[in-house]
Amino acid sequence: MIWIGDVLLSQGEGGVYNERILGGARVWDPHRSKLSALYHVGNGVELTAGMRVLYLGAANGTTVSHVADYVDVVYAVEFAPRPMQDLLEVSRRRRNVIPIMADASRPEQYAPLVEAVDLLYQDVAQPEQAGIALRNCSYLKNGGILILMLKTRSVDVRKEPAEVFQDTLDVLIAAGLVVQECVWLAPYHHDHAAIVCIKPVV
Amino acid sequence: MQSYWFGDVKDGRCKVFIGDPDAQINRLRAISTSMESFVPLEWEEAVLCGACSDRVDYLARLQAVCIAAAERSIREQYSRKDAELLQMVRTLDEIDTVINLLSERAAEWYLVRHPAFSRKYRRTPAHLLVKTMREKSKGALGNVAGGIEHLAETRTFLAKEVSARANDVMPNTSALIGGLVAARLLSHAGGLLLLSRLPASAIQVLGARTALFAHLKTQSPCPKHGIIFQHRRIHNAPRNIRGKVARVLAGKIAIAARLDYFRGVTAPDFLEEAQERIDAAGKRIKP
Repeated sequence: MIWIGDVLLSQGEGGVYNERILGGARVWDPHRSKLSALYHVGNGVELTAGMRVLYLGAANGTTVSHVADYVDVVYAVEFAPRPMQDLLEVSRRRRNVIPIMADASRPEQYAPLVEAVDLLYQDVAQPEQAGIALRNCSYLKNGGILILMLKTRSVDVRKEPAEVFQDTLDVLIAAGLVVQECVWLAPYHHDHAAIVCIKPVV
Repeated sequence: MQSYWFGDVKDGRCKVFIGDPDAQINRLRAISTSMESFVPLEWEEAVLCGACSDRVDYLARLQAVCIAAAERSIREQYSRKDAELLQMVRTLDEIDTVINLLSERAAEWYLVRHPAFSRKYRRTPAHLLVKTMREKSKGALGNVAGGIEHLAETRTFLAKEVSARANDVMPNTSALIGGLVAARLLSHAGGLLLLSRLPASAIQVLGARTALFAHLKTQSPCPKHGIIFQHRRIHNAPRNIRGKVARVLAGKIAIAARLDYFRGVTAPDFLEEAQERIDAAGKRIKP
């Protein structure tokens, strides 16, 4: 990862969302992107040039564009038409972003399009986030990494975020994933936690 | 056999798909894979098939297919009749807010220019006040008042269009509670499909989010009605039976929304029965 002091950067064509440019590279703002926040508050996962990434909940393609600066290819899954319009514009400008308009909770919809990936990144506002992640793990290579951005308020607004977090963790561990890192994304994002897991080599 | 976007692979032999982009998207939608016997595709297979020359070519072709498929899905979703109504009714409600804000501000401004003026003991409706302000003010204030009047005209025009469009898109719901309120329900639910999937109890409190979550989190009483309060049979009902009328009305709206989504035409039998039932609920007053 490219850092200048405590500013995270990515190398690529700028002007995607009027992001700041520093030393010729694009500033990756932790307040806007949860993945950037993870790199600021925790360790995260080193993005490398050969990586293939399945990105669930791509939204407007803001974070996607930064991930695409680092890796080989990003399969960006988004369901809603409005953000998809923006995501398409991002993919027209970046040859390694593959936009997929499908429902992340039904991975079979995009099975004919996606190859096995090294990193599964999920940021969806759905109640059943652990289940969606597990279903998509079929695309993850053995030894591959899952980054789950848990939106606790989307799971249940009435439950305590810590309780939702523990429940999700239990589900992931029960499914055989090895948890590597868990951090809350405060002060950048409230009631959001990042869970980094490894799919063990069988 | 495994079906991929570029073709079918069976026992190491493959058949590349040949056809125009439209046919390719249709095929992509038709392919169904079960996740149990799922084998992730390997891009090298596409090269062996002769569908592409190398990885760069593979990704470029895949991206082109995916962009075309997504563009078509977006176009299809936006061409549904409720998509534009959603934007129309949201614009309408925002124009209302803007008109109110601007009128209040212009009135404050007018007061400074006319120290003897007061709105107390006057029953001047806001739009007449704006008219007075336009006529009696010089310079920018007169312009602002004129702008508000113009905005009000736009609002009236838009409201008519919203009503007409709502009658077309959701004939049954509109017949029960009027086009405008029906359109607002649609806007809060996020679309006709989503509205038709909501339970009656949710429709009843649609638009009363703050009160509902206050109720869920603390001991405050549950809201009896949200947007449907705007319907005359609820706000005209005596206080003690409003909740009851709201519940019955919401129940009928839930059915009407489903009729609208799945049939799309008026159901006279249902409407007649529903109107009777709602009227009856309004008449039963507890002793």
